[in-house]
Amino acid sequence: MEAPPVSVLPITGGTINMMEYLLQGSVLDQALESLLHRLRGLCDNMEPETFADHELVYLLKGQQGNPFLLRARRSLSHPTVPWHLRYLGQPEVGDKSRHALVRNCVDVATSHSLPDFLNEMGFRMDHEFVAKGHIFRRGVLKVVVSKLSRILVPGNTENTEPLSLSYLVELSVLAPAGQDTMSEDMRSFAEQLKPLVHLEKIDPKRHM
Amino acid sequence: MQQREEKLLEASVESLISRVAHLKNALHSFIYKLENEYERLTWPSVLDNFALLSGQLNTINKLLRNEKTPSFRQQVIIPLLLSPDRDEELAKLTEQRVPVFSHEIVPDHLRTKPDPEVEEQEKQLSAEAARIGPEVAQKQIQTLNKLCSNLLEKLNNPRDDRDAESAAIRQNKPSFNTADTNALVAAVGFGKGLSKCRPPGPVAPGHPGQGPMMSGGPTLQQVTIGGGSGQQQGMGPGAPQQQGQGKCQATSRQTSRLPPQCILTTDKILYPILIKYSG
Repeated sequence: MEAPPVSVLPITGGTINMMEYLLQGSVLDQALESLLHRLRGLCDNMEPETFADHELVYLLKGQQGNPFLLRARRSLSHPTVPWHLRYLGQPEVGDKSRHALVRNCVDVATSHSLPDFLNEMGFRMDHEFVAKGHIFRRGVLKVVVSKLSRILVPGNTENTEPLSLSYLVELSVLAPAGQDTMSEDMRSFAEQLKPLVHLEKIDPKRHM
Repeated sequence: MQQREEKLLEASVESLISRVAHLKNALHSFIYKLENEYERLTWPSVLDNFALLSGQLNTINKLLRNEKTPSFRQQVIIPLLLSPDRDEELAKLTEQRVPVFSHEIVPDHLRTKPDPEVEEQEKQLSAEAARIGPEVAQKQIQTLNKLCSNLLEKLNNPRDDRDAESAAIRQNKPSFNTADTNALVAAVGFGKGLSKCRPPGPVAPGHPGQGPMMSGGPTLQQVTIGGGSGQQQGMGPGAPQQQGQGKCQATSRQTSRLPPQCILTTDKILYPILIKYSG
């Protein structure tokens, strides 16, 4: 993704635990235009930003069978921009009443030798996909509307086919741990996008 | 009797004059705003001005329709004295708009018939009305009344009815598909349908199914920077447990859920090593 929010992680020690609050939904291709119009009106006034990213997901298999996942992302539209490495923890099973999915999130920018490095570390690439779409911001809220495409020939990002006839819509906020006010703001923003999109907290484990 | 009528006439004329003065002031300020504060004007304030004007016109209409108001049509105004000289009183009364009460201004100001163009149009319209005949006219009146009442009904009905209708219309064109949402979330979450080993299609077992490929052994390993040069020996594919060289200190930790501290140390590794790699 363009300009990823990099949490400040001093090398010397001590970190800020960043949490990602997430709401997801989807919109059919034919309704995309109306959604973009609405987002353009609701979100901060800036040039509409499009992005084209190639994401590779690396796995380090553990003994228990619960592997350690890292996501490496590079921009297809800006090939010289650094890669982005992200770790997402398990969703916090806190209160059921919390409106958004909360999980620990660590973001780092890396050099272009990331895939080789991860391979050397023992990670294996599990899957990859291409995401193309638009990104909007409203204060700290970030809305990403993206079309996911499957890569048919591994490594070849030209040859792709869309995964479905819909665009994935994600509303996310990165905040330090302990700030629970975010989910309320996210919910009220999500209300404004109804009935075009239903943004909700979707537990990925349910669809395994 | 006549005195009462005169008094009534005077009173109604006075109130009419004051109402018209209000209307004039409102128009004046509106025009001023339009001409001078053009950039700062917002549509709601323009609407407010129009609403004000419409309200004032309404009050004037009500006043004229009032039973106590004598019929002005029956009154006749006759100019008694016309002079080409400037009349100061008149000028003051009319705010310098009519300085002279002369032959030129009288036809315009004391006019009782409409403008010639308006008269023409009215004649045409009445000719047209006479032409179509009473039955057709009646039918047209009825259709117009029906349309107006339909519209009024729609506008006055409570919101729920409208929402139900519009929801029904929108049902035909849903803008999202829940199955697609789930598929996309699963794809982004853990690569359902994206795994390169399998043909395209939803994958049921997910990652744990690939576990058996590993021949067991130490699990996630944390490599601390302190030991040695921090350089990784080449690890063969799919066999991270072969670390015979032992130049690095390895501590294995068995956890089902990786606590954040692991990432922090991994992160500590990534940064300096990446700098080495890129450098």
